Amino acid sequence: MSQPTPRNSHALLDTLFHNTTRLFAFLVLALLMGIMVTLTVASLPALKSFGFHFFVSDEWNPVTQQFGAVVPIFGTVATSVIAMLIGVPVSFGIALFITELCPAWLKRPLGIAIELLAGIPSIIYGMWGLFVFAPWFADHLEPWINDHMSTLPLVGHFFEGPPMGIGMLTAGFILAIMVIPFIASVMRDVFEVVPPMLKESAYGLGSTTWEVVWNVVLPYTKVGVVGGIMLGLGRALGETMAVTFVIGNAHELSMSLLMPGNTISSALANEFTEAVGDLYTSSLITLGMLLFVITFIVLALAKLLLIKLASREGKQS
Amino acid sequence: MTGLDYKRYLRRRVVNAFNLTISMMAVAFALFFLAWILWTLISTGIGHLGISAFTKMTPPPGSQGGLLNAIVGSLLMVVTATLIGTPIGILAGTYLAEFGRGGWLAPSTRFINDILLSAPSIVIGLFVYELVVHRMGHFSGWAGAFALALIVLPVVVRTTENMLQLVPNSLREAAAALGAPQWKVVVMVSYRAAHAGILTGILLAVARIAGETAPLLFTALNNQFWSSDLNGPMSSLAVIIFQFAMSPYEDWHHLAWAGALLITLFVLGLNILARSIFRKGNNA
Amino acid sequence: MSELHLTPPHLMHPEYPQETAMSEAKKIEVKNLNFYYGNFHALKNINMDIPDNRVTAFIGPSGCGKSTLLRTFNRMYQLYPKQVAKGEIILDGENVLDAKQDLNLLRAKVGMVFQKPTPFPMSIYDNIAFGIKLYENLKKTDLNDRVEWALRKAALWNEVKDKLDQSGTSLSGGQQQRLCIARGIAVKPEVLLLDEPCSALDPISTARIEELIHELKTDYTIVIVTHNMQQAARVSDYTAYMYLGELIEFGVTDMMFTKPARRETEDYITGKFG
Repeated sequence: MSQPTPRNSHALLDTLFHNTTRLFAFLVLALLMGIMVTLTVASLPALKSFGFHFFVSDEWNPVTQQFGAVVPIFGTVATSVIAMLIGVPVSFGIALFITELCPAWLKRPLGIAIELLAGIPSIIYGMWGLFVFAPWFADHLEPWINDHMSTLPLVGHFFEGPPMGIGMLTAGFILAIMVIPFIASVMRDVFEVVPPMLKESAYGLGSTTWEVVWNVVLPYTKVGVVGGIMLGLGRALGETMAVTFVIGNAHELSMSLLMPGNTISSALANEFTEAVGDLYTSSLITLGMLLFVITFIVLALAKLLLIKLASREGKQS
Repeated sequence: MTGLDYKRYLRRRVVNAFNLTISMMAVAFALFFLAWILWTLISTGIGHLGISAFTKMTPPPGSQGGLLNAIVGSLLMVVTATLIGTPIGILAGTYLAEFGRGGWLAPSTRFINDILLSAPSIVIGLFVYELVVHRMGHFSGWAGAFALALIVLPVVVRTTENMLQLVPNSLREAAAALGAPQWKVVVMVSYRAAHAGILTGILLAVARIAGETAPLLFTALNNQFWSSDLNGPMSSLAVIIFQFAMSPYEDWHHLAWAGALLITLFVLGLNILARSIFRKGNNA
Repeated sequence: MSELHLTPPHLMHPEYPQETAMSEAKKIEVKNLNFYYGNFHALKNINMDIPDNRVTAFIGPSGCGKSTLLRTFNRMYQLYPKQVAKGEIILDGENVLDAKQDLNLLRAKVGMVFQKPTPFPMSIYDNIAFGIKLYENLKKTDLNDRVEWALRKAALWNEVKDKLDQSGTSLSGGQQQRLCIARGIAVKPEVLLLDEPCSALDPISTARIEELIHELKTDYTIVIVTHNMQQAARVSDYTAYMYLGELIEFGVTDMMFTKPARRETEDYITGKFG
């Protein structure tokens, strides 16, 4: 054979380069599969011993080797719901301010401040929550909540209990502050894709700013807004460190949000390295897999909604 | 305009003013907590962040010490993770932006990558525990670095793709028209045009893992002593902060605050650096 | 209302002889209007009177300031920072540019239709009812009547009467634009601003909109911006030619297109220019 001509070597390099990049792109996909398979295999012992009972039992006893997921599932859902109840309206307010009210000179500094809030590591939120926020919460807010909200019909018993500062309400509140920058920036981005002419038409009829946002901007962007909320929810469900500091790590089912509880991720952070025995470890890993599956579904939905909004936008312009 | 209902108009104005005020209060709410957290960090941390924090090892309870081994462990693992995650991420991102048109691989990878971007990092820790720690039989710095690399990866994939998408096609066509093969077009033209953006992405990824704690808990674990051996358990700032802050000892709390301030300064500094590089790269 | 004075050309350039002022009631008086985008001086000392119940067209090459001028009449520019108008725009004796002017009421009185159809993300019915409900407290039956009236006025009723609860975005482009006109007139404004309303439409839809403009002028004062000179000639009673932020000539449309007073205008309408 003769020496390869430059053209041939280029063709070879092209194929090589193309396939290398493809291999690594595939690796990202394989990573997801890998996580799923690994966690499934590792959770088999627990699933074999407890079966479906694992997901409906609230017992968590390393001594008798009985494990059930209800307490951490309840804690995960409760803290995330609290975070959404506080975080979504605040994020909406921030996005509204940035897109409709903010003077031009303030837009950049405000954007940077919101990104700073997103950039602070979660362990800092946790530490601040434990040392600063929880004591303040216990002294100032929880007594008021005790007095005023525990007497409410239906939801009253959510707010009974000693004002300790630590518990699901505190964890949910700190989660809310953490997810606000994520939800607010998605909302801001989708609000900004609303065609100016559409907003002008609503203003042109004499609408107030609020009416334009509520009747035109929000319906126009609802898919993206829901996507942003789901993204925040995905974050809240999986957040570990901020919650672990302030949730109290108690494996007891309590309806009161002022009582200590547990979430899937805080149970993992607190117990995994100390877990003795295969069944204990496997039960924790099953919790982890459950968390992964739930967040995967939530995040996939968020992504699909945002893709849908983007493609509709593409068609219209 | 016939039949203008002034009462209704007044009510609309009131509703508008009320809701816009609420919106401003939402902004104030977020800024208030940002200020509170930063103020707490600075006022509490600065007093304990002396020279000894950088020169002494983490102490047993009740004695003086520093954070040296934790800082070194964090740096070692972050650098290793970046070195592993970045090239893979850049190549995968290149595929998505340059080769992925048509076909199923690029859209699926893009979708999954965006999910991994927000996936709970503690699950990554579990995965690496099962894959590495469990098999090797011991915790190690390598496992920690590997877990962090898996967090770097989606960030770099995403920014690389986005930045390459911004490179105008006319530039690629101009290079191709000169007879350049595709790999050369990508390496010599696309990467060069997008380098500031890609670098920004890497810095943001580093900022993200610098404060990560959850994936290190079950992989690198911790180490009270000096260790630069990635084969053994390794201490990191984040895990030390967690351990010290949750402990009942006052001295440890002080070191935890110092470490928290250090990490936050590092992460926010990286964010600012990334932003300024990106802006400079875009203006050039 | 006082007499309408078309801006005599001699005020802009002394060397031109004064035309006879026409006697028409005037709806809007623009006095010494200047407009700035930041440092850019976009409108230079505009003076003109817009006659009541007539169609006035603004023509000129793109970037001449015709849309900018239109957007000062309902202060739409004020949504954006760094856009400033100075001077006076008198609508029914009140200065629109006065800081004390209530913007929402002003905009309810001055309707606007845009270059592209902008149906709101709601049903056809709600698109029309939206604006009405902002200011009036009508009974359900009255509201229904008003919606029908507006849709009939916009020559859209027969096409949509069976699908009022469908989304406004489901209509064709021409129908959407007529929906937007119906939405604009449903609040019974006095002035209707049309900013190149046909630029995104096919010729047939354009013809329907032009017919509509013709019918609407008995009730409304209409100001239309168009880049299409034939359209200006077809639909308007008065035409203003603008160039580089200045009002070059303003007069009766037939005169403008047959015997323009200014050389620049003649060059533009005969196509010697851009």
